[in-house]
Order: sequence, then structure tokens, then C-alpha cells
Amino acid sequence: MSMTRRMFVFGGAAIGGGLALGVIGLGTHLAVHDRLAVQREGNGKDTLLNLWLRVNQDNTVTLLSPHTEMGQGAGTGLTQIVADELDLNWDQIKLELAPPSTEFSNGGVFEGFIGEMIGKAPKWAEHIASNAFNRLADVLNMQMTGGSASIRFTGWNIMREAAAAARQMLINAAIDKHSASANTSTDSGFVVDGDNRWSYGELVEHAATLAVPEDYVLRSPSDRKFIGKAMPRHDLPDKVFLKTQYGIDRYVDGMRYAAIAHSGVFGADVASIDNLDEIIAMRGVLAVEKMGLSVAVIADNPWRAEKAVKALKITAASHENSDISSASIESFQRQSLQGELSDAHAVGDVTSVQDGTGETIEAEFWVPYLAHATMEPMNASAWMEGNKLHVAAGVQNPLYVRAHAAKIADMDIENVVFHAHSMGGGFGRRVGFSMSEDNPIMWIDEVVTLVKKYQFPIKLTWSREADTRQDVYRPAILANFSAQLDENGKPSYWKSASYGSEGGAPAAMTPYNIGNVQVQFANHPSPIPVGFWRSVENSQHAFFNESFIDILAEKAQTDPIAYRLSLLNKDDDHAKCLTEVAKLCNWQHGVSDDGKAMGVAVQKSFGTMVATVAEVSLQNNKARVHRVWVVTDSGVVVNPDSATAQIEGGIMFGLTAALYGRCDIENGGVKQSNFHDYPIVKMTEAPIVKVKLLQSDNIPGGFGEVGVPTIAPAVANALAVLGKRLTRLPINA
Amino acid sequence: MISITLNGREQSFDVEADMPLLWLIREEAGLRGTKFGCGIAQCGACTVHVDGQAVRSCMYPAVAAQDKQVNTVETLGSKDAPHALQTAWIKHQVPQCGYCQSGMMMAAAALLQNNANPSGEDIDVAMTNICRCGTYSRVKAAILDAAKEISS
Ligand code: FES
Ligand code: FES
Repeated sequence: MSMTRRMFVFGGAAIGGGLALGVIGLGTHLAVHDRLAVQREGNGKDTLLNLWLRVNQDNTVTLLSPHTEMGQGAGTGLTQIVADELDLNWDQIKLELAPPSTEFSNGGVFEGFIGEMIGKAPKWAEHIASNAFNRLADVLNMQMTGGSASIRFTGWNIMREAAAAARQMLINAAIDKHSASANTSTDSGFVVDGDNRWSYGELVEHAATLAVPEDYVLRSPSDRKFIGKAMPRHDLPDKVFLKTQYGIDRYVDGMRYAAIAHSGVFGADVASIDNLDEIIAMRGVLAVEKMGLSVAVIADNPWRAEKAVKALKITAASHENSDISSASIESFQRQSLQGELSDAHAVGDVTSVQDGTGETIEAEFWVPYLAHATMEPMNASAWMEGNKLHVAAGVQNPLYVRAHAAKIADMDIENVVFHAHSMGGGFGRRVGFSMSEDNPIMWIDEVVTLVKKYQFPIKLTWSREADTRQDVYRPAILANFSAQLDENGKPSYWKSASYGSEGGAPAAMTPYNIGNVQVQFANHPSPIPVGFWRSVENSQHAFFNESFIDILAEKAQTDPIAYRLSLLNKDDDHAKCLTEVAKLCNWQHGVSDDGKAMGVAVQKSFGTMVATVAEVSLQNNKARVHRVWVVTDSGVVVNPDSATAQIEGGIMFGLTAALYGRCDIENGGVKQSNFHDYPIVKMTEAPIVKVKLLQSDNIPGGFGEVGVPTIAPAVANALAVLGKRLTRLPINA
Repeated sequence: MISITLNGREQSFDVEADMPLLWLIREEAGLRGTKFGCGIAQCGACTVHVDGQAVRSCMYPAVAAQDKQVNTVETLGSKDAPHALQTAWIKHQVPQCGYCQSGMMMAAAALLQNNANPSGEDIDVAMTNICRCGTYSRVKAAILDAAKEISS
């Protein structure tokens, strides 16, 4: 249990007579502190909401989340883990979500927590603390959708640790209070010693007085009843019966509505409003507010506000970005790739073989900027109650947003209350930070600024147009590849250079056994706001790498799966998934009688290996994807149905990007604005997706993002079989 | 004044003739199950029934609903008395973020009213709503299931 050293388990005094246990993972920085009574009478709701696990006197166990929306099945997965580790029946485990009206503040609790532990929290600890809590916030929101290493680490290990510690505490309580024997164990909500049975509920009060044990053991896989089963999601009835409240559904009495226009040039202020009188005179309009980068219109109905915004005539201040375009960015990137490059990965020595006799194969790839286009556009509500500022929104890290709102309002964080709502899609859009240091949550700044000034409650809703044009985009990337084939058709070297940060390096590595490899990057600050877009760098680099290996297979006149396998060790998990997906789809290389072809791609991301085959035809020179087969290898699969749903969704998300997705830059802004020119794949175009999940005892890999990267190269590789090799996205441009 | 029969109750609203039905429903009537996604009749998140037909309320002027029956997703069913579609939606674990789903279910309900036994192709043609989370295959399976349930 080496992981223990990297987290806190804290437990102790009862809340409502129950045993509350929390665990906080802090990376590798801090050691275990196992007895920390942070939850005290009088610390109130704030504290309660930070606890992860509460064993109740009615013999149920509550998993608590400071969020209202657990994302794509994540909450259900977490309860499965806890139910198994704590040895519960399914009806004993409850997922408790803070109702949107409930105040919560992670930060205050953490300060208390650190304070208990080491006296007054020093600056450095505060930093680690808030990072850790941000990560926890992400965990609870994004377990199945996020899937980065820390999330998987926290979800699988930390949650299980908390549950295992709780189970041991209940056993210890029976030993301590009832002199139970050393053979005491548990059975579905009971502590059992021979013929003696005590319900957890009976024992919690005593358990809460005991120290959190360090010597608990995790239960074995054979004891699992829920992990690995398609348990129904806890959040779905509310979604189907309209109980779920998204940010946009927030309402408070006296609410007014704001709509927004941005200057249209990234980074540029609004210089002037040229028809202010006309706007003020429109029905329902209460105020027009110029706020640096934007202008807001406040009205008594959101449509009236938006109508006024659409009628606004504004002039952007002149700005160095005013002239940039997709073409200028592309040529800048091309130039940069000729300049100084950083080495991200090197095997052997490419220069030593570069002048060999074989044919040199080169390719240049380009992928455009992409907006997230969450179904629910960005929005937030804010209002004052006494001297407290309330902010309500759906965000991926509420703690950060609360602190951010306090900063914007120039208020103490204690006086800011954040209400976390469900999110109509996240995909990385609702994270408080970006790759380019741009502010992705401008809508929070905007609504807070307005409420500070006008004092009445305001809901700000971005139009779809504002949402599309003021995103933190998936970065556009230009990439150069070259390789040379030896007499056996195998690459003697592989060289790639891509524009972008080295943060993308792991995604850019080729998995194939090639003697000489060089992977390089060129990076400069981005004039366009760029951020985390579902699967982050993997969607671009999988397209480059898996297209290029396919080009090499084509040159070597070898079946693309056989070619890949010839460059992989037999026991490599890429090889395993490729072999499995070939079986699943009944792999055929070549054009079928009815004009279809298959293409393949493989990429490991977020701990999950994914091999994908797409079956594609050309209709009026446009790609049409008929069927898709996906094989994943991801260790323990906590909930196979949620995992499958995430892969299905990831394929659609990636397919939209592959076929249609482009945000073109013109005059310093994004040209596309809404679903008519930024189309999303619909049901008629949706391929049939067949998913096979391979499992092992390894820690769970992510699912939310991993369906995205492979579909674009799989489709492009199929199109190449049909005679159309595309190295630029989108395909149906 | 615009009078409509909203979810079975006749009501009058003092709104502009061109106010889209969506904003009347969400803000003037306070029924927030109907969602805003695009405002240009592209996504279907705002789907409601006007005289039994599915319409995209974000582009449907309030005045066009004058004296008509407007039903929103709130009338579909409840936990205690679910519509067959709602039961099927849970059975197939359709929603992900869920935001598009009230529009999806309303589009599906109108489809089933017009065509009690739709084929997969009928569903493809009728269901032009956008789901950014990509739940299409489950939506389709759930509609087929609900159709079977209703006709049995
Ligand atoms: S909001 Fe009406 S169709 Fe999108
Ligand atoms: S479930 Fe998220 S948009 Fe459809």
C-alpha cells in the first residue's frame, strides 16, 4: 500500500452520529496524517461537503460530493468502488450531491485541515492544498470523463483507501467495544464474528472515536460484487425527469438578464459603442455596460438582452491580433518548424541514417482550431445577499472559480458563495485555466462585474455565437514527418516536428520499434486562446502518427495492421488491441464490392489503449462512415456500460472533428459562429459503433477522452484505401 | 397580449409578437425543462409540441402559438407515471450530460405520435437533434423500445 504515503486519510468525530472519513491525495508531497478531527460541530455545512464518506447510523453509507453533477457516470463508478471495498449492498450506498442552493466552500475547510495538522498553514502548504482540492474537484466531476493520471489515481486508490479504512474502523469498533475476536470480518453491511453480527450503523458511533488505522487491507478482486458490473447511473432519473438543474436554469427573485458581445478580435478591447441611444431605447433594456473586452446589455428577459446585443454596433480597439488569420498562423508555424526545435524524444541517431539509400517519405499535416461547443452555452448567475456575493454556474473546478470570482469582485473569499450546477457538457471547456494563459471563464468575470455595479441579481448567458467565438480552442498544429524505408520496407528512421508545447510529447511518441527516432517541437506563445479539449494533445498527434505509419505501410505495400504488428513486440498492448480489433471487425484491406474500405488507428492515452477500425465510403466525394469497431485495454473497468457510452460518445466527438470541425481565424477572430457553420454529427451520419473492453487487474484507465483520438486517423486511413489520402483536417472541408 | 394554452392551461403573456416561444416558456412561464442550445433551429434542444407537432421553439415566434396548444417536456411524464420514452431512456442509460435530452424526448414523442412503429431509418430522418455527447445509438434503441412498449 505504497500509495498511502501520498495521501491523508482523516476521520473521527461523528456527524449526525455517523462516521465521517475523508481522504486527500497530495501527490508525493506529504506523508500520512491519520487522525485529524477536522469535522467539528460548528464547522457547519462547509465541512460536511468535503467529506467523502459517511457511515450512517441507519446502516447506509453516503458518498458525498461538493458537486451537483458527477459527469459521465463518475459518481456511479465511485459508489461501486466504495460499495465493494466497504462490503455493502447496493441499496446501502447513497450518492449525496450538494443541492445547488447549498453553500459550500472547500477552501475554508482545507485551511482548517492544514491548520489542525501543522498549526498555521504556511504559504507553500496553501498552494499544495488548493491544488490538491482542485484536483479533487476534478475527480468528483470527471472521474470517467477526465481520466488523467491524478484522477485515476485518486478515484481508484484514494476512494478505495477511504472505504477500506472505514471498514477496518468498523471491525476495530466491534473488537474494542464487544471484544470481538481477531477473525472478525464483514458481510454486506454487518461486522461478523462467528454468530455475532453488528450492523455498521450500530458500530459507527464507537468507530468514530477510534483512530484511523494504518493497517487496513484492500479487499481482493474475488470479493467484488459491483466493480465490473453495469450498475445503473444514479444521475439519470433526475436527467430524464427534469430534476437536474443546469447553470442556465438558475433563477432567483428579481433576476435580470445579460447578453454579451465581445470585441471580435482576441485580446482587443471594445473601443466604442456606435449606437448606444438606439440600444437603450429597445424594449426591456435596462443598461449597457462596456467592460474592456466586451459589452453587456442587461434586460428583463434574456431574449431582449440578446436581441439588443445583436443590434449593437461596436468597434474593436486596434490590436496586434487584428490582422491574423489561419493562413498567417499556418505560415508562422511552418517557418517556426524550420527554426530552432526542442528535442522531446530521441532513439538511436536519426542523422546517422538519414542519408541512406532508401526512399525518403515526407508528409506535412495540419489540424485546425476547434471550439468545444458544449451543448449548454457558457453562462453564470450572480447576486448579492447582504454582504455576500453568490455565484452559480456549472464548472469543472468550483473551488478555483470561487477564488477567481472573489478576486474579480475584490472581496474576501469567505464572502463569496459558489453554487455548483450540473454542466451541459464540459469536455475541458469549463476548466478555470487554459494552455495559453487566457481566461476561459470570462463569463464569470463579466457577471461578477455587472452584479457588483448594479447590485440586482443577473444571469449572463452567452449566445451560441459568443460561445463559439470566445473559446479556448484546441490548438491548431502543423507537423512535418519524414522517414526512410529499408529494403524490408521497415522505417530506418522516423522523424517528426510539430508546432506546439512539449506538454504534447507523450501523445506524440511513436509506439513502433524503429531504430532511430526523433520527435521535436517548436513552440511560441499563441495569439489565439488555446485550452484543454477532450483528449487534449492526443487528438492531433494520433492523427499525425497513425496517418504517417499508414503512409509507410502503403509505401511498403503491406496490410496496415500487419505492418504495425511487424513493428511491435508480440506482448505489447498496442499489438493486443490491434489484433483484437482486426478480429472484431473481420478486417479486410482493400475496397469492398460496395465501395467501402476499412482504416485503422491505435493510440494509448489516459491509461487506456484504444484500437479503432472505421468503415468508410465516398459519396459525392464526401466521406461517409458506416461502422466503427473499438477495442480498449484499460485495466479494471469499473462500469462497463458507462465506459462503453463514453467510447461511443468519444467516437462521435472525434468524428465531428474529423469530418467538419474547423474554427478559421479571420481578422483576429473566429469566423464560424453556430451549428450551421460549425456542424456536429447528427443521428443520420452516426456510424454504428461496436465496443469491446479488454480488462485486467491493472489500475483503471480513463474512458471519457480516449474514444476521441483514433477516429480521425482511422477514417483518413480508410479514405486513403479509396484513393484519397488527406493530411489536413477536416476531411469534408 | 398573446394567449396560448400552455401545458393545458390557458395563459396570456404580455410579450412582443416576435419573442421566440422558447423565452416565453423559460422566462415568462418559468418552465425550464426546455433548453436553449443555438437559437437558430439547428440543435433541437428547445423542442416543444405545438398542436401536437414538434417545433423548435427558439425560432417559433410567440404570436404563431396564439390560441394553440403548447406542450412542453414537463407534460411528458413523471417518476411515478413515466412516459414510455422516459422508461426506455433509463433502461438504455441514454443521457450523458443530459442537456439535449428533453429536446430529444420531445422530438421522439412527436415522432411516435405520427408513426407508432418507426423503422430505424424513420428515426434517423425524424431525429435531427444534436447531441454533443454523442448518445445517438442509445436514443435510437430507446425509441424503438418505447414504440414496442406503447403498441403492445
Ligand atoms: S435552441 Fe432551438 S434549435 Fe437549438
Ligand atoms: S447528453 Fe449531452 S448533449 Fe446530449
